[in-house]
Amino acid sequence: MTTTPLIISLLAGAILSGTSLLYATLGETLVQRSGIVNLGLEGVLLVGASVGFALAAASGNAWLGLGAAALAGAATNLLFGWLVVTRKANQLASGLVMMFFGFGVSALVGAPYIGAVIAGLPKWRPSWLADLDWVKATTLFNYDILTWLAVPVALAVWWALFRTRWGLGVRAVGENPAVAYASGRDPARFQYVVLLLGGLLGGLAGAQLSLSLTLTWAEYMTAGRGFIAIALVIFSKWHPLRAIAGALLFGGAEALELQLEARGSLISPFVLQMSPYLFTIAVLLAWGGARRLAAPASLGRTFYGST
Amino acid sequence: MKHLLRAIVLILAAACAAAFAADGLVIGAVYVGSVNDYGYNRSFHDALTQIEKQLPGVKLLEAENVPESGEVESVMEGLVRQGAKLVIPTSFGYYDAARKVAARHRDVAFEFAGDGDTTGNFGVFFGQTQRAMYAMGVAAGRMTRTNKLGFVIGVPIGYSLGNVNGFQMGAHSINPKAQTIVVVTGGWSDKAKEAAAANALLDQGCDVVSMHVDSPATIIRAVEARGGMSIGFQSIEARALAPKGWITGLGFDWKPFLTETAKRVMAGRFHGEAVYQGLGQMVVVAPFGAAVPAEVQAAVNKAAAAVAEGFNPFSGPLKDNRGNLALPPNATVGADQMGRLNWYVEGVIGKVH
Amino acid sequence: MSEAVLGAVRRKSDAARATARFGAITAIALAVFAAVLLVAGKNPLQAYADTFRHTLASAYGFSELLVRMTPLLLAAVAVALPARLGLINVGGEGQLFMGAFTATAGAFLFPNAPAWLLLPFVVCMGFLGGALWGAIPALLRAANLVNETVTTLLLNYVAPLIVGYFVFGPWRTAENSAYPQSARYPEAALLPSFFGTRVHAGLLIALAALALYWLLMERTRWGLAMRAVGGNPEAARRLGIAVPLWIVAALAIGGGFAGLAGMSEAMGIAGRLRQSLSPGYGFTGFLIAWLAGGRPLGILFMAFLFAIITSAGDTLQISQGLPYAVVNILLATILFVVLARRTK
Repeated sequence: MTTTPLIISLLAGAILSGTSLLYATLGETLVQRSGIVNLGLEGVLLVGASVGFALAAASGNAWLGLGAAALAGAATNLLFGWLVVTRKANQLASGLVMMFFGFGVSALVGAPYIGAVIAGLPKWRPSWLADLDWVKATTLFNYDILTWLAVPVALAVWWALFRTRWGLGVRAVGENPAVAYASGRDPARFQYVVLLLGGLLGGLAGAQLSLSLTLTWAEYMTAGRGFIAIALVIFSKWHPLRAIAGALLFGGAEALELQLEARGSLISPFVLQMSPYLFTIAVLLAWGGARRLAAPASLGRTFYGST
Repeated sequence: MKHLLRAIVLILAAACAAAFAADGLVIGAVYVGSVNDYGYNRSFHDALTQIEKQLPGVKLLEAENVPESGEVESVMEGLVRQGAKLVIPTSFGYYDAARKVAARHRDVAFEFAGDGDTTGNFGVFFGQTQRAMYAMGVAAGRMTRTNKLGFVIGVPIGYSLGNVNGFQMGAHSINPKAQTIVVVTGGWSDKAKEAAAANALLDQGCDVVSMHVDSPATIIRAVEARGGMSIGFQSIEARALAPKGWITGLGFDWKPFLTETAKRVMAGRFHGEAVYQGLGQMVVVAPFGAAVPAEVQAAVNKAAAAVAEGFNPFSGPLKDNRGNLALPPNATVGADQMGRLNWYVEGVIGKVH
Repeated sequence: MSEAVLGAVRRKSDAARATARFGAITAIALAVFAAVLLVAGKNPLQAYADTFRHTLASAYGFSELLVRMTPLLLAAVAVALPARLGLINVGGEGQLFMGAFTATAGAFLFPNAPAWLLLPFVVCMGFLGGALWGAIPALLRAANLVNETVTTLLLNYVAPLIVGYFVFGPWRTAENSAYPQSARYPEAALLPSFFGTRVHAGLLIALAALALYWLLMERTRWGLAMRAVGGNPEAARRLGIAVPLWIVAALAIGGGFAGLAGMSEAMGIAGRLRQSLSPGYGFTGFLIAWLAGGRPLGILFMAFLFAIITSAGDTLQISQGLPYAVVNILLATILFVVLARRTK
């Protein structure tokens, strides 16, 4: 083993830290495209991480855990949907409620399995890549299904949103539910479906942390990644493909912080840790007014028309 | 209905009060993390649950995942009010709050894990891992092929920096080319970042990784997955997590000391003292992994024995990693100064602030 | 019956109905949580009895409720005030940290000043820190650049790191302690506490803030103007109201109240600056403000309820061996019921 060039380590680190962010961002992008903000994404991630880990530990099968995590994320989002779609409750408050709910449920489900040893999802690296020196010395291309499928899933979300009639419907609901309703689309149905899919992706994001990256469960282990993903949605202008770049950039920021430290950098770690947040604000500023064109027009508003 | 409920509440309340009034000792422990974590909190939990089983009359009350904010004071007050006569706050950040509760309840013994001042009912204790880390450094220095050792620390407090320094000095003593690269995650328990940190170190060419975080589990597993070697910390049980790459590690054994403390409290003889014990007492060396050759084991055992007999690697002159004299000749860093140590020894790659 | 009669009947029974509604909400939430406890293999009656015994039924327990309530009240006002303008302040947590930060700077700037001078000064500094931190997103919003929801949220993660930099670096205590924290504040900078409990002057500040908020909203022309801006900014602009100015003022004052929460935790409880200042009071404050619909009495009531619930978490953990976080389920259940019942 020798020192890997910084750029290679950064790429490896960015993919490592960015995968769960990408899933979470894709899920939230879908949800927000239908006009709903889910501030409770952190809770969805936690529930996914904990349920996935618990099932993997109890059954000895990480695949079972993966499926359970996705379903648990979806169930959490449907509960949120019941509040904001059916009961028309305030989205931001309901989101924070779901965050607290996620704290509680994940702690309860995960508690018996803290310290359990699981095998994790199997990893696979194509043999022709494994022989390259700069690949061998890093985690590059040695991935499990979640990492391998992250970009294809982003493509699928993009395709579904922008190349299908269904996606047109979702976006129409997000732009103006009243118009969508008038043209024969049921906004509530679109929103529930989107919340279900977003929850599946959020659950996978959580599972990536517990079943793939750390192979452990600990309370609050998402450590704010759900909120970063919400920022990423805006950062990527509600676009699934830009979300790939965004997740890599944010994952890369964490990787950069660790790599600079490991190389004896003189920059304070506190300054490095702040940089992703300040960077996001700077980007939002740079986009300024143009950004609003990309945001679903009815985002965060409650639609009463269909009752 | 209302009256019935109130009656039930009162009866239950009385029943609880009676239960706590029984003879014996209630021990209250407060942890910053989870007790099943293969780490720091588990080391206390294991010791205390064994004491609860073995000492007749001892009952254990535990509070996990208690943040180091203002809330911990009411948690400790709650333990006292539920009958605890011995309170063990196990996280450094609980100190101020513990002192306040102790000042209010002179009849309750407090045994604080960390450093600080003592009073009649407030003792402090801790394991001196920093010197013991010297022996771990010897193990790492002998096992490494790249001469790059990695060290993940959660929060850069004096104890963590001291562990890194002891580790590097031990490695250097047996392998002059050995360097220790330090990465700070910023929290005692940020699992995802710990995994990323371990991978960053491996990317740098480190082949042996040690750590000072709440639970070593995540890092050990991340290192094992990539064929690296690890030196554990906090709990020696973590060796089960690395069947191939485990070298050895340090764990805490609080049982003898806390058993003695519990007996003293029961006998009414508790008096707060500062107790710092090293290798062979509060600090124990974990069994070696299968891949460790006999001659390396011998070298580590020899270093450990020297430390146990009083050898202090933190003896001047020592240079810090910026070339300044950090410790003048004939000076040493004592156990009570370790918490405030704020420099890395020569050969460590890392920055203090 | 005529509309007028119906209205009169409705008004008369409003209070009774509110009480009944709250009783129903609590009963449903407690029942659901009892089911959760049963599933977890615990005795819910015992759990509730323990909680009652250690919070409302003891003088100490009650005093701790007031202690917990203090930062929650301020954090809630920090959200409720800008909300009158339609601004969404999710940044209470960061503003709280900055308030504690600047208050600390104030205390260390004049360590020898007498209490009658230093105490008001650090209180003002606490307000100022939160206000400045709130003003950043406000300015960006007022200039029509970025929505305040995102920026306030992101700045939550920056403020604790600034505090971290100082408690690990320049302000680190010279005491013999491993823990990264500032030196103790001078005695004169500490908020006095009462009756030998931890209840401190921060509670009075919080109640005063709540009263001030009520006064501003209900009894001054400012409250009216704010409602006008919140209701229809375009119309307000045409009426000659300087909308950007109102936006900055509302978020800054709101931030200032959150800053006071940080100041009061630092000067009233911790006695020094540390990174573990708040377990998320800013977020809890948002929920309280929203559930109370911005009504001052509702904020008072909800803050008290939240204090009971978080205390219950400690009790349940010690006496029932449940993870503390489980209490969040009770919290969420109550909120579910409230949210689900409200159709507006």
